[in-house]
Amino acid sequence: MKTTRALSLALLPVTLLAVACGTSEPAADDNDKPAEGQEITLTGSDDTAVTLPAPATDVVALEWMQVESLVALGVDPVGVADVDGYNTWVPAAPIDADTPDVGSRNEPSPQSIARLSPDLVIADASSPESVIKKLRDQEIPVLVLSTSDASDQLGTMREAFTSIATAVGKAEEGEQVLADLDEEIADAAQELEEDGMKGAKFAIADGWQDGGNIAVRLFAKGSLMSDLAEAVGMVNAWPGKGDPEWGLQTTDPEGLTQLPADVQFLYNSPDGEDDVFTGALTDNPIWQGLGFVKAGDVHRLSTGVWTFGAPLSAEAFLDVLTDLYDK
Amino acid sequence: MILTSEPATPARPARPAVDPRRGVPAWLLFAALAGAVVALSLVNLAQGTSGIGAGDLRQLLTGDADQLTRDVFWGSRLPRLVAGFVVGAAVGVSGALLQSVTRNPLVSPDTLAVNAGSWFAVGLVSVFGWSFPVLATGAVAFLGGLASAGLVLLLSGGTSGPARLVLAGSALALALGSLTRLLIILFEEETRTLFFWGSGSLVQVNLDAPVRVGVVVIVVLGIAFALSRSLDVLSLGPDAAASLGLHVGRVRLVTLLVAVLLSSLALTVAGPMGFIGLCAPVLARQCRRFTAGAHRHRMMLPLAGVIGVTVVLAADVVVRLVPTEEFGTGIPTGVATTIVGAIALVAVARGITHAESFSAAPTAHPRRISADRRTVVALIVLATLLLGSLLLGLLAGDGWLLTGDLVNWATGQAGPYVHFTMDERVPRLLAATLAGGALALAGCGTQAVCRNPLAEPGLLGVTAGAGVGAVSTIALIDSPELWQVNVGAVVGALLTFSLVYAASWRGGLDSIRMILVGVGVAAGAEALIAALIILTSPWDIQFAMTWLSGSTYGRTLEQVWPVAILLVIGLPLMLRHRGDLDVMALDDDVPRVLGVRLERVRTVVLVLAALLTATSAAAVGIVAFVGLVAPHAARALVGGRHVRAIPVAVLLGMVLVGLADTLGRSVIAPEQVPAGVVTALVGAPYFVWLLWRTRG
Repeated sequence: MKTTRALSLALLPVTLLAVACGTSEPAADDNDKPAEGQEITLTGSDDTAVTLPAPATDVVALEWMQVESLVALGVDPVGVADVDGYNTWVPAAPIDADTPDVGSRNEPSPQSIARLSPDLVIADASSPESVIKKLRDQEIPVLVLSTSDASDQLGTMREAFTSIATAVGKAEEGEQVLADLDEEIADAAQELEEDGMKGAKFAIADGWQDGGNIAVRLFAKGSLMSDLAEAVGMVNAWPGKGDPEWGLQTTDPEGLTQLPADVQFLYNSPDGEDDVFTGALTDNPIWQGLGFVKAGDVHRLSTGVWTFGAPLSAEAFLDVLTDLYDK
Repeated sequence: MILTSEPATPARPARPAVDPRRGVPAWLLFAALAGAVVALSLVNLAQGTSGIGAGDLRQLLTGDADQLTRDVFWGSRLPRLVAGFVVGAAVGVSGALLQSVTRNPLVSPDTLAVNAGSWFAVGLVSVFGWSFPVLATGAVAFLGGLASAGLVLLLSGGTSGPARLVLAGSALALALGSLTRLLIILFEEETRTLFFWGSGSLVQVNLDAPVRVGVVVIVVLGIAFALSRSLDVLSLGPDAAASLGLHVGRVRLVTLLVAVLLSSLALTVAGPMGFIGLCAPVLARQCRRFTAGAHRHRMMLPLAGVIGVTVVLAADVVVRLVPTEEFGTGIPTGVATTIVGAIALVAVARGITHAESFSAAPTAHPRRISADRRTVVALIVLATLLLGSLLLGLLAGDGWLLTGDLVNWATGQAGPYVHFTMDERVPRLLAATLAGGALALAGCGTQAVCRNPLAEPGLLGVTAGAGVGAVSTIALIDSPELWQVNVGAVVGALLTFSLVYAASWRGGLDSIRMILVGVGVAAGAEALIAALIILTSPWDIQFAMTWLSGSTYGRTLEQVWPVAILLVIGLPLMLRHRGDLDVMALDDDVPRVLGVRLERVRTVVLVLAALLTATSAAAVGIVAFVGLVAPHAARALVGGRHVRAIPVAVLLGMVLVGLADTLGRSVIAPEQVPAGVVTALVGAPYFVWLLWRTRG
């Protein structure tokens, strides 16, 4: 009996074979249509040239900054890594919640991407190389863009944005978006100057607590938010050095004493009300004694700012900044 | 159970007392420790991320200090120091209580899975988005820790033996760690902080938190102290204690509750301070050598507490001396204590010369059907299942294929999508399947040689060593090629294995000693991995976690070759030694009598196992439990003879990991659950059942 049962177990795979017959796509035939239009050649941050027969219309983007760039250019991506996460964290440029999800940002699924038969996949320099290679082997063009570099965050962002705009054949619109951003920066600088904030010191941070532990993360010089605030005439007062990619540094409450008393302390708290800067820290004498806390210069960036974003998030940040000091 | 190591003998009658006139008097011992604590406290107070140093703080005494100095003192330095005291004392005493109640020097909140249980419980709560004040988090951690400690004690049959308990606890900790990793992968944002917290840090949000917990800790320490007398009696052995009128069961239960409460309170203040609970009591017990009365709990418990404080503060002082970026917080203190504690664990384990043997691995019950016939049937069924799992692995994943697609693919007529999908799936499926076979084969070898059904490469530290190798390659080389990561993993595994081998070699290779050393080395290696990740790419948690949790993501065929080659060489080699393995599984004497060159065979088998583990780690990352489950299930199916068990185990391992990977690729597609997490979810219940069956 045992043997019979065991052998019937072995029949399971046969059943599977029977149930799953058929094909998901017809056998290959050669009906490739040569595309028309002007040819576009771009070189990615991996020094690999990507040639598109025509401007890409069906684009998959693996990093949120790139998704945001597409939205700014009026192109709806056909596939995005972590759609829910994107819409939660980048409300400045929402996408259709039904946009196909191609997996997490760290581990995008090549099958999901291939199923969408995109004209172009835009990947980040940190995207898994094996996936980029697989897609390229399949003759899906992959444009690899470095979207974060603490040595010149704003420049890196502009460069990546321009490449994306060129790839989708919207170079002019792209220039316009960047010109808008420049204008916004100039306006914001003007406005802040009028409000007496030119040369004002600032610090941007987020923070979290677990049990009794606390960590505060500062956006040091070289982070995107810092580059922007400096572009409008303010000065990052955090003396520490951030990491080479994002420009971030973690410290403890005591580390905040490195900030001058007259700093504008801005913090990002996407979760809303529940943050350490209005909660646990307020019981800490260091925090209470900090000059900027006493002066009431602690401000929460209202939601809508993805701190690693593209022009739209940048403008959202500048709006928040100017609104804060609008007199 | 016979333990001849110094601290391992609480069960024996006390050694001849140290002559009070010649030993170190108790007051001098405490005074020396207090001096060390004061010195460390002063150094610790002078360290920090602001410019406030010893000179400024001295002005506090004279009242000349400025406001900033006062604020830094009250808002940062003092809370941190208080946290160090609370955590050190609580965990030190907690470990001492656990060691006394189990009469086992290898037990601690770490090795009883208390910390892992607490961490998992807190992780689960944070996924639901609930956030609690400090003490309520403590309650969650307490319940989680208590549940897992209870499970470990229950499953390993209470106080049945030191090694068994520690192995059970370590394995459960591994399973809970996998579950917590799954939570972190699935709920990246909600659990963002959990990864850092899991490493233990003294940095406090304000003075309130550690003081509030500290008050509770003092009360609980009082209760612990009140148990001293009962614990002294209990140390005579349960029977003797009962005959002296002690309610053994009640004392044990209360002690366990107090111990878990202390460790979960410490956890809420600072996260897990790894292995303080192990090394503090071990050091405290050493004091009996030169101080009269130090074996009594009313002296030993305070000693363990003070030593715990000393070690925590020393670790905190040392990590703050490590240069980091200016104003950065650097390596978490808990990582440093884990490395110190792991060394203590290895040192204790080295002292063990003869440990209890496990009840023989359960084998097939005598049946009407002969073993050979069962083997044939098992092989046929498993081979078919393997084919089935391969077929399913090709069809399932992110988007189903149909068999017609496979036919088209095989005949070269498939369209680009099918072609592409197959190019993606075939290497992953092969990597998972072959790695499963390799791990099962490695497990067969280690289990026979260590004469222990729980022995597997993961518990020997080899897998964690491979992880250290891989992560340091990723840290050292800017965007390394995949083969470089693989080479790093192999080097790491071999080095770790040599270390375990060398540290446990004392004129011979005692099986239990080796596994305990391995558990210590594994803990140290995991701490190193955490330190490396935090120092080099603190924001890239998910990549490191996924890799370490065992994933086939992004595998290419070239990565499959090493494990395939090793399997092809290793299988016949292992089978050639089948007879030696059969006799070695009995005891050490029979093979000697039969002329088996014990150490040589052992070395060959263990090196082979290390290589198999390393190449499989390179192919799929760290996959736990397969090396444990597959050989065991094979023995249960076809009996313990290796000529039968090895092929069956290899097939089982292949099916298990192959299916786990397919499942991980399909269930939440396009996102993925790492294969290692799936095998842990399958392996943990099996392991629990295995412990229950063999509780003796």
